[in-house]
Amino acid sequence: MSAESQTEDQSTEGEHPRYSEGHYQLLFEHNPLPMWVYDPATLRFLTVNEAAIRHYGYSRKEFLEMTLKDIRPKEDIPALLADVKTNRSTPTVTSVWRHRKKNGALIDVEITSHEFQFGEKKAKLVLAKDITEHLRAEGQVCQLNEELEERVSVRTAELTAANKELEAFSYSVSHDLRAPLRAIIGYSHLILEEYAVRLDAEGQRLLNVISSEALRMSQLIDDLLMFSRLSRQRVELTDIDMTPLALSAFQGLITAHSVPAPQLNIKTLPPARGDSTMLRQVFVNLLDNAIKFSSLRKDAAIEVGGSCDQNQNVYYVKDNGVGFDEKYSARLFGVFQRLHTDEEFAGTGVGLALVQRIILRLGGTVWAESKLGKGATFYFAIPAKKAS
Amino acid sequence: MPIPNAVEILLVEDNPHDAELTLRALRKRRLANSVLHVKDGEEAIHWLFGIGTYADRDINHKPKLVLLDLKLPKIDGLEVLRKLRTHEETKLIPVVILTSSREEQDVVESYRLGVNSFIVKPVNFDNFSEAVALAGHYWLLINQEPK
Repeated sequence: MSAESQTEDQSTEGEHPRYSEGHYQLLFEHNPLPMWVYDPATLRFLTVNEAAIRHYGYSRKEFLEMTLKDIRPKEDIPALLADVKTNRSTPTVTSVWRHRKKNGALIDVEITSHEFQFGEKKAKLVLAKDITEHLRAEGQVCQLNEELEERVSVRTAELTAANKELEAFSYSVSHDLRAPLRAIIGYSHLILEEYAVRLDAEGQRLLNVISSEALRMSQLIDDLLMFSRLSRQRVELTDIDMTPLALSAFQGLITAHSVPAPQLNIKTLPPARGDSTMLRQVFVNLLDNAIKFSSLRKDAAIEVGGSCDQNQNVYYVKDNGVGFDEKYSARLFGVFQRLHTDEEFAGTGVGLALVQRIILRLGGTVWAESKLGKGATFYFAIPAKKAS
Repeated sequence: MPIPNAVEILLVEDNPHDAELTLRALRKRRLANSVLHVKDGEEAIHWLFGIGTYADRDINHKPKLVLLDLKLPKIDGLEVLRKLRTHEETKLIPVVILTSSREEQDVVESYRLGVNSFIVKPVNFDNFSEAVALAGHYWLLINQEPK
């Protein structure tokens, strides 16, 4: 039927059954996509199929009295003429155009046109695929994507700004809040040193209270800053040998504590995947508590152990100290929450809050068991190291 | 105030109380006789480079130590350090940062600029005195400077 298919037929003769002209006529007439044949010289429609009549709304008779120009919006006609000129001799062309239906509606169509022998005439066979809906949906997806991206970038900017502000805030806290405290402590000290003879014991005690309270405030500031810094710090996961990590945390603490070192029983701990700075801090805080709350006993003993299964590693720090009443355990991990007065045991109430914050950031959980006077055990679980 | 040319320690500190505590700590170790205290970064730069009110100063006489605070009016401590390190004639002067900040970014930046030491001022007076006295003692009496 067409020049192309004739060539095909000749070259494959004997291998494929030969289609008669009637077969092609059937393919053309009943194709679900609009198709037509036009004369490239006059742009007149030479024949159209059922789908074209249905889709465009013109009758067969109307079509055959029209040219291609009549189904184009006026402003597209120069482009059409230029295209016909350049593509006159190109065998197959696919391009996107705008067509106008009989009812005036504009549609976007993907046109595939082939060179074609129509009787004696050289003609073009056209297949028109309406892609209006497709383009509209595509446009909508694009727009949604753009909106989404814009929203994400706005939120990111907001978050970055909030983080910057927080950083600036803690920076200025760390700079400016310490200076007055240093002056309070320093000048109290100078009075005690240089005016000691004019102060009685009570006067000296009062100055010492000022000094030690200022020192406590400075400790609070440090702990809070550490708390806020750890919340912002990036988690860096590495493989960690937990036994030496816990041991070195303990050794660092006993040199800092003035109390006699308790007996330490450290079991072999399962290796972990986590942030070593953060996990070290967890051991430091838990062991610091264990040392502190068992410091009243002569036979103070601390045990560190752990176990692992497929899903998680569990570690514990156990002491034989004063313990706590489990009905208050909900308050244990809150910031500034304390179960003891400062006279009993000094502290800022940040240590366990920090432990919880770190373990939550590592995707784990913390909990504690105790009986008043019978010691306490603090547990933390982190996701198991995945076998690589 | 000591004769400017005999200055061995330049103390750059805007907080008068921190300055007083620092000077007392140095005095205890008899290191305070040759200290010049300036109150902002601009004055520090004027003195170090012999400009402005210090135009008459012989800048060939270099201090053995600059104790530098970070948060300063006009020109901050890091900027003073940067200036010192970019000029040939002041490049080798020992600079010890003495600051309230324990922000990691300050420590890293100071070292990147070539600070000799970074000390966080302890809030506790005993520790503060000790830190200042140790730094002064080390840089003035123990350290060997290039001829």
